[in-house]
Amino acid sequence: MTINQLQAPGSLLQKMNLEKRETLFGWSLILPAVIIIAALILYPIFYNVYLSFFDVKIMQENIYLGFQNHENIITDSAFWKSVLTSVIYVFFTTMGTAVVGLLVALVMNQEFPLRGVVRGLILLPYVAPVISVVFSWQFIFDPVNGLFMHIAYDKLHLFAERFNLIRSPQTSIIIAVLFGIWKNFPFTYLMLLARLQAIDRGLYEAAEIDGCSSWNKFWYITFPEIYFLLGSIILLRAIWNFNKFEEVYLLTENVKVLPVYTYIKAFTGIMDIGQGAAIALIQFILLIGFILIYVKRVLKW
Amino acid sequence: MVKRRSVFHKIIFTLIVLLIVLFCTFPFIQMLSTSLKYQWDWGNPSLIPKRINIDAYKELLNIGQAEKNVPESIKLLLEESKELTREQKKAILDKYRSTADIFPFFRYFRNSLILASTSALISVIFAIFGAYSFSRVRYKGRGTIQRSVLLVYMFGPILLLIPLYTISSSIGLISTSVGTFLTLLTIYMVLTLPVSLYMLGNYFRTIPFSLEESAFIEGCSRLGTIWRIIIPLSMSAIVTVFIYCFMIAWNEYLFASVFLKSFSELNTLPIGLRELFVSKNAIWDRIMAASMLSALPVIILFMTIQKQLAKGMTEGGVKE
Repeated sequence: MTINQLQAPGSLLQKMNLEKRETLFGWSLILPAVIIIAALILYPIFYNVYLSFFDVKIMQENIYLGFQNHENIITDSAFWKSVLTSVIYVFFTTMGTAVVGLLVALVMNQEFPLRGVVRGLILLPYVAPVISVVFSWQFIFDPVNGLFMHIAYDKLHLFAERFNLIRSPQTSIIIAVLFGIWKNFPFTYLMLLARLQAIDRGLYEAAEIDGCSSWNKFWYITFPEIYFLLGSIILLRAIWNFNKFEEVYLLTENVKVLPVYTYIKAFTGIMDIGQGAAIALIQFILLIGFILIYVKRVLKW
Repeated sequence: MVKRRSVFHKIIFTLIVLLIVLFCTFPFIQMLSTSLKYQWDWGNPSLIPKRINIDAYKELLNIGQAEKNVPESIKLLLEESKELTREQKKAILDKYRSTADIFPFFRYFRNSLILASTSALISVIFAIFGAYSFSRVRYKGRGTIQRSVLLVYMFGPILLLIPLYTISSSIGLISTSVGTFLTLLTIYMVLTLPVSLYMLGNYFRTIPFSLEESAFIEGCSRLGTIWRIIIPLSMSAIVTVFIYCFMIAWNEYLFASVFLKSFSELNTLPIGLRELFVSKNAIWDRIMAASMLSALPVIILFMTIQKQLAKGMTEGGVKE
């Protein structure tokens, strides 16, 4: 008893020391990464807000404008057109990747020969550099040489003349959406497949004994199991697709989604960095708004 | 009846699988096919070239380009005229060998390679320590940091581009070519750091703590266990994360297009390819060959880590 009492303060001290040392150790390991992220991601984001209030001049004093930049943008019809383009682009690419990803995941969940090879091939669009695949897509839809016009015009006589689907303003968004789906569905597929493989096979066997149809098996067993994962993937994809620049801009400059609009405003022609910062800020606010609504409605948090 | 239905099923199923494979690989097949075709063959919808043309690859890889542009008559003239000195002949030949027309594929390739591998390496090194701290060390504020790293997922690159460009140009970082290169390198490192932290952190959690405990008993220090136990055990995950970061940097276009505007000798492959496409028309074979050659390293790297990557992405979460 006396020995215990004697030891207690000592071990407490030791424990305190250990805890302190642990904290110190943990922080010292993470600190470099935290400093880098704070200095080069978080600080710039706040700086972007600051910039949006100025007429930004590189190498000269910035001129304070107040809400002038924001006002200019909100009253500009080109901006709202770009918002609409973004909404259309994000909605269709996100839904498209979800549907295609789910279908492919369901197919790949079956056993068949060479499944490993096929799985590797499916991921190719996702890992290949955007710059290297856009030219191939442009060639496919090229009015003179492309395979698409060869089939649609020469064989099926769908159009009155050959034209460039990617360059013409009405159809370019369709191709951009298709390209977005093609490029990104492997991500959705991969996530869903991992979840599908974790579903208990016994559930399906029981359903088969009860005489369930394939559709019923999907609707009553598979779908509830993947609902929340699918919901989260759709959210992630919507955020990422909303921020997409390369996949749209490199394929066609006609589809002015918000990042492309910002880029064109800020870095081409008469460079207006202050306006660009203001668009980026408004774009970010719109995104946050969307996320909050989505999380409440679909994920029911 | 049952058997016939299953045969029918099998055929439909095989067709669906073939359709999926075709959908995924067709643009790549088209790329390869066009890169090997002569110009007169481009309009031919068949994917197999009537005659194989590897001029585009030769030109990009700079094989046998020295004499290409010199007209036959000049060559003949030079050979026959004995009174010209060697220097004079060389000067005449140089006029025809204009190098301005050649796409500097190797330089762009090298720039991309250095940028992508260095930024990925630094990112992974910082991430190993950070991720160890996330997954193994208990302290106050850990959760907050972890969540903030996740929050970075939401920021699009365009939101970072404007402030980073303004900052680095106002403090004079991008007025020299070395400074520009280092700035871009740092940016790529930052862009890949959150995903490295997250993926590695999740992997480290799967390593049993008892291994480390026994190392402690043997007298190993905390840092010693990272070096002797964590790193060797998670080498495959570290390589995967490295390659993933490498691919992000290799594919990046947005930041490079803005930062490298005044230093075209630093151009990365995406920028170079884009310029080649915009500046000249109807050179599909060269464009496709260049696309092929810039996709190849990524595809090869991907094939080597395919299984690991699939696991790392689904278990560790992922960022583009």
